[in-house]
Amino acid sequence: MDVLTLEVFKQMINRAYTEVQAQETHFSALDAIAGDGDHGTAITEALAAVNDSAREGTEFNQMLTQMAMNAMTRSCGSTSTLIGGFFLGMGTAAKGVQLNVPQVKAMFRAGLASMQQNTQAKPGDKTLMDALVPAVTAMEAAEGDIKALFKAGAEAAANGAAATVEMQAAFGRARNLGERSIGHADPGASSWACMFGAFYNAIN
Amino acid sequence: MENQIYKWINDPKHITEELLEGYVMAYADKVQLFGTHTIVRAQPKPEDQVAVVTLGGAGHEPALSGFVGKGMLDCSVVGDIFAAPGAPRLLEALKKFNRPAGILLVVLNHAGDVMSANMAKQMADAMNIKVKIMLTHEDISAGLDTPDQDRRGLAGCVPLYKIVGAAADAGKSLEEVYEIGERFNSQMATLAVAMKACTHPQSGVTIAELPLGEMEIGMGQHGEGGGGRSPLLSADETASKMIGPLMQKLQIQKGDKVLLYINGVGATTHMEMSIIFRKAGQVLQESGAELVDGKITELLTVQEQSGFQMILGKLDDDHVDYLKNHGSDAPYWTVNP
Repeated sequence: MDVLTLEVFKQMINRAYTEVQAQETHFSALDAIAGDGDHGTAITEALAAVNDSAREGTEFNQMLTQMAMNAMTRSCGSTSTLIGGFFLGMGTAAKGVQLNVPQVKAMFRAGLASMQQNTQAKPGDKTLMDALVPAVTAMEAAEGDIKALFKAGAEAAANGAAATVEMQAAFGRARNLGERSIGHADPGASSWACMFGAFYNAIN
Repeated sequence: MENQIYKWINDPKHITEELLEGYVMAYADKVQLFGTHTIVRAQPKPEDQVAVVTLGGAGHEPALSGFVGKGMLDCSVVGDIFAAPGAPRLLEALKKFNRPAGILLVVLNHAGDVMSANMAKQMADAMNIKVKIMLTHEDISAGLDTPDQDRRGLAGCVPLYKIVGAAADAGKSLEEVYEIGERFNSQMATLAVAMKACTHPQSGVTIAELPLGEMEIGMGQHGEGGGGRSPLLSADETASKMIGPLMQKLQIQKGDKVLLYINGVGATTHMEMSIIFRKAGQVLQESGAELVDGKITELLTVQEQSGFQMILGKLDDDHVDYLKNHGSDAPYWTVNP
């Protein structure tokens, strides 16, 4: 697979929505340990909005921007703004109806950069960044076609999320828990790893 | 963890819309809805006065929308249960209150609120809407020397709304309102305590469960844990354990004018809160501080969590004047000087 077409990208988004929705209760339960127990609902609502915008998309830039605005309008909380920021950022770096390998890498890098304007969280803090940063880095380093790139992203995100189990939260609400935050995966890292896994599953 | 919902609600998806509809129906002479999730005054103020806007999740009633009204907030933009409104909804409110006098946007330091506010402000800046953000971060549970950005905003925002709301309605400029508010914002501190967890109204999931017979100082206002767990102490012991660090944080000295509020978060009775107030007030009096404004009330709640927030503020003459001598008709904060 040498290019990522708009239609295939839409299928990846749909798959991400479906797989995250299937684990909605699990992500909320993880969030209830240190947070307020709504992460599963929030990420599912945000991805539902993104998925709906995919239906009307005719071009990457316009569609990604619409996905971001729709997610932020329809869902609430930090998850909504983080997803919104990610898709807004991706939209600034992607144009047209198909993307080659360097263009896909640039799109994901721009999504991450946009999110980093909104949050100070960094890898090791036990947040979604523990899945997202390694995923984007692995995608950039991957050699081969589109499939190889998303395979690398999915594996790095899954490993990153698994590593959060042993971490002590250093950011956000969970930070106040100190050592008691150790022993459970971070809900955001887990849901984002699920998303990146679904991206790959959609094309494999 | 039980997923049973013990609340009088209908479809969990519609809690926020339905509670806001009931609220504006009850207080129709004072507040109304703009769109589906934004509460504004029924009688808007003149456009030559600074507008005071805030944002936050639902599930904390009467906060934050209970404080919209003459002499306090102009607008409260509501998200969903415990979740900040998205930037597009906040931007709509900023567009509505766009005026030469400007808008003061009061934001409680929680990741979701701050991200929405910053993103909406970027969009508003691009449209030449004059907005200044004031961030509250008075929770001292993470330690007295913790940097501002790592401290949460708790119920101390409510007396701040009264002060900046009164200053704005008195015709002060945006810079003046900000300066008066920031002087109070930097001189207040809050600690929260809980002894029984709450459930999330939409999922029914118990948030940060506490074992029977234990309490936790530093609980957040979404029920999230705070780290200071101990066996349950008596009212006097608990009050002493909380007022001490608050006084230390503000370096309370003899002759200081202070505000002390006990904010019940849901299941704790006014009986208990009064006993807590008694001890905290005694400690303040022994230090020689002058208690000029006290409240035992529910300003910002956390569902059926049992616990309270203790808010201490050091006041200057402007703050005393704006708190006590300026009227307010907000449904949950009435002052008739």
